[in-house]
Amino acid sequence: MSKQTNDTSGQSACMTRRAFLFGGSAAVAGTVLLPGLPGLEGKVLAAEVARYPRKRIGSLKTLQLNQPVKFNYPDEAQNSNSLLFRLGAVAGGGIGPDQNVVAFNALCTHMGGLLDGPGSFSAADQALGPCLLHQTSFDLTRHGMVIGGHATESLPQVLLELEGDDIYAVGMLGLIYGRYDNLNTG
Amino acid sequence: MSRKAENSQPFFQPEDRVPLPPKNADVITTCCDYCVMACGFKVYRWPVGTPSGGPKRDQNALGLNYPLRPGQGGWVGPNQYTQGKWQGKMHHIAVVGDHKSRVVNVGGGHSIRGGCIAQKVYNPQKPTQDRLQHPMVRINDLLMPVTWDFALDIAAAVSKHVIKTHGESAWAMKYFSYQYFENTYALTKLALKAINSPAVAHHDHPSFVNSVPGWVDIGYDIFSASHQDFAMADCVLISGTDPFETKTTLWNHWILKGINGNKTKVIMINPRHTAGVAYAEKHGGLHLDVLPGSDTVVHMAIERVIVENGWQDTEFINQWVANFWETDSGFGQGTRNTPWQWRTTWGKFQVKGFEDWKDWLLAQEESKVEVAARIAGIDPAKIYRAAEMMAKPKDNGERVKTSICIEKGLYWSNNYLNTASIGTLGAILGCGGRPGQVMTRLGGHQRGGVSGGKYPTWKSPYKAPGRRRHRLDLDRWLEAGHVRFAYVVGTTWIQAMPGSSALEDVFKRQTKFNPHQVRSFDKQTIIDTLKRRVDSGGMVIANQEIYLRDPIGNQYADIVLPAATWGEEDFTRANSERRVRLYGKFCDAPGEALPDWKIAARLAKKMGFTGFDWKDSNEVFEETCRFSRGSRKDYNAIRVVARRKGMRAHEFLRGFGTKGLQAPLLLDGNRIVETKRLHDYNRKDIPDSGPEASTIHNKRLLAFKTQTGKLNLVKSPWKLWADFYEFMQPRGDELWVTNGRINELWESGFDDYERRPYTQQRWPMNFIELHPVDAKARGIESGDLVSVESHRVPVQKDFNLGVKSDDMWFSGLMKDGHIELVSGAFSAIAMVTSAIKQGVAFTEFLKPSAPANVITPRVPDPLTMNYRYKIASARITRIGETVFKHSFSQMSFKRRDIV
Repeated sequence: MSKQTNDTSGQSACMTRRAFLFGGSAAVAGTVLLPGLPGLEGKVLAAEVARYPRKRIGSLKTLQLNQPVKFNYPDEAQNSNSLLFRLGAVAGGGIGPDQNVVAFNALCTHMGGLLDGPGSFSAADQALGPCLLHQTSFDLTRHGMVIGGHATESLPQVLLELEGDDIYAVGMLGLIYGRYDNLNTG
Repeated sequence: MSRKAENSQPFFQPEDRVPLPPKNADVITTCCDYCVMACGFKVYRWPVGTPSGGPKRDQNALGLNYPLRPGQGGWVGPNQYTQGKWQGKMHHIAVVGDHKSRVVNVGGGHSIRGGCIAQKVYNPQKPTQDRLQHPMVRINDLLMPVTWDFALDIAAAVSKHVIKTHGESAWAMKYFSYQYFENTYALTKLALKAINSPAVAHHDHPSFVNSVPGWVDIGYDIFSASHQDFAMADCVLISGTDPFETKTTLWNHWILKGINGNKTKVIMINPRHTAGVAYAEKHGGLHLDVLPGSDTVVHMAIERVIVENGWQDTEFINQWVANFWETDSGFGQGTRNTPWQWRTTWGKFQVKGFEDWKDWLLAQEESKVEVAARIAGIDPAKIYRAAEMMAKPKDNGERVKTSICIEKGLYWSNNYLNTASIGTLGAILGCGGRPGQVMTRLGGHQRGGVSGGKYPTWKSPYKAPGRRRHRLDLDRWLEAGHVRFAYVVGTTWIQAMPGSSALEDVFKRQTKFNPHQVRSFDKQTIIDTLKRRVDSGGMVIANQEIYLRDPIGNQYADIVLPAATWGEEDFTRANSERRVRLYGKFCDAPGEALPDWKIAARLAKKMGFTGFDWKDSNEVFEETCRFSRGSRKDYNAIRVVARRKGMRAHEFLRGFGTKGLQAPLLLDGNRIVETKRLHDYNRKDIPDSGPEASTIHNKRLLAFKTQTGKLNLVKSPWKLWADFYEFMQPRGDELWVTNGRINELWESGFDDYERRPYTQQRWPMNFIELHPVDAKARGIESGDLVSVESHRVPVQKDFNLGVKSDDMWFSGLMKDGHIELVSGAFSAIAMVTSAIKQGVAFTEFLKPSAPANVITPRVPDPLTMNYRYKIASARITRIGETVFKHSFSQMSFKRRDIV
């Protein structure tokens, strides 16, 4: 398990989001879906942030275009394999000046095929896949939505925050393949 | 810079944790409700408020240690979990691919559709909450909840009046052919046996007809293969579909096993460069990117290359293809009863053996490779390559083991000629009956049809030249005003038929625009009003459904009957390899909804018919068993053995779980002998317990399905199609607009693709694929909204009595004024992609709110009464932008053929 905890006092960006929704309480179960009201876009993400560790996973300066960086999140346990990307296009949930820095869990949500091997990332299409098992592919500019294939949920997106040059993983959207709870590995 | 992307959130956000079924959860076996593969699933059910399971294998009912390893099946993801009612109490329900399965979806594989099937379950707190719950009757143009007796008394009284006053042909049933043996049996027992109406049609045809008539004439069964055959072939020709998209586990498990383990080469005939095509090409396969409707000439040209090189399977032909004596002089009835004789006036299709067929083929201009390639719009080299891959002997002299499989792109464009020509191609290659050398449909819906009565062909007034009678064309019959009561079960009817805008006008005229509308809640007054309506030439509709459909139910039905479905009753059905399984009941039906068989039985009893006193679905099933004898899914042995064991047939079958029993089933004493593939002439395990008793040993077990048991080669003269094809060609700035299904939306639309946020996220609107060149010429970019419009959609009208040979061909119908040109238009979101052939556009087949069928021709194949759904032309014009063009939360425009 990562040593990171939910204690992010002092991280003002994160606190601002969390405070908005939950009055600073981190004891939130599950996800709260908000209606798409103007000005509230993205606030749903805060709900996910609440119960996740905050972990530094890279720096903006050293992250190269179309060269994914492996990391583990939300822990170091089975199926925590994740990838950090600087894509050649603007992406949903993308951070940084070009809104093109995103991160995803790297297990196909169909049958758990690993998508962090060589050739799995299609830079021209900003796509992950096709999976070697059954060829599901995911759109990294659309929150990991299935482009084509068999997966029954989008690729879980790792939510990011930028603090200076540091990229932090702060939460997740969706369930990691093979787990029943992202934060419980039994 | 706008921070829109950074602040974006997905339309559908799944949970990040899901409860696991506890060790003591109820486990029910079932299969997927959608495509013909019918993957095995397990349902885990435990009461809300009781503890869920833990991550250790001895803490959960899956028997799995969490987290699962990559590639391990049995995962309960957010879309595999829901809640529903069981015995009136809310329960957790997880529906998971059976990870212990050794057939169909080995290891628990699933498609995106079946994988989400838990979301089909009626859950008052989810999008399925709008399931129909109560019978309704239209009063003052509003559907009002009533009781079952109230609704069925009206339906029965009006039905009886219609039959007595206007004849049984005025009582019509349009119904699903596939939704479980128990239901199709009860429905057809009412319509065909009790009422004996000829005005009966399946959900996908205007008539009660066969989809692959060319194979009927040749002698191939349409579901003869086992899934394993696809992993054993050297070469597989797949035409008119991509199983990656629409027969997912056939691709994922069996075809991929062939490609990767057996170096199987896959040839795909398809105007689209799909993900499956791309994968096949990468692994030594071939893509024949034909123009819609041109397949026949491609088959003929491949055949020409084969016979010119002598690559045909001579040994097989000598043994299994009917020769001069067998076709011309005949055994007994000879070929006199072969359908080709009455499809058209004599002599257009039959040949006197292989040499005669070969002479005919080589004399055809369209079989020349260059000519065929020009008609199909493909590189001629691909035709030579395809012939080599399928037929050229290996270096060691061995024959290539070739299998051929087809689906709707083939048989719903040029129905007879495409099925006849590809069937003949199979016959000369020795396809059929041997491991890895099979000939089969890939399939659509599952195989859940059993007929409770015989279709009264003699009552149909439709006649074609010669001495041929066609089965009744229900759409034309309706249009002519002859349908006075329509019982519509589990189909949208209107959008599902071509030329659907004009068809909807007919429904409107016959129901809403009739002056006799119900204005009272008094039952007798309602009955009297509806009787006056039908006597004035109008029509009354009873629509039996799981959701309120628009427009058939919402706008035109007078009576709406709520049906129970998958998971809400014990049902049985077969899949594409004839595997019969029990689909267990695991949740309550919503409200007062009843299974279709029970509604049909209640209606029948109220009409005064006997033989509908079943107490439960098992009793219906047991009655169906004997009527399956001799068919490809002969399952009578289940009833016979169950009785000997003192068991109910459903319970006996339940014991076989997701594996089920592969039909036809034979009996060897008390032992059930299953059938791996049909036409299996090398098979040795046929019990010698007699040809006709508890089981009937159909000829197709050990031979082919003809009088002689041998395959008949047939001709496929292009000119029988050429006049219609010429008319349908794009004119001016029109494009071909063909249609089909995609992975996310295949045989699953009938319940809840509009109730599945995950799928709506991917496909929020109807879409149309356009080639970049065609898009640029029209100023269209991905994400733009376009209109697709035609004002020359041909619709065959009137009662047509064919007398002279050419009367029923398209040009003859045009000349005699039987074709009306109508309008059709729909909008769609443009997806610009080189995956679609230039000059062709591709759209979804059955998006109810923007149906492609508004522009497809309602002119059935005059030889077979099948519609040509895949052939249309239209103008495509940019309207503006959709919100999805700049959204990050819904719709992806990425190419789907990345390899």
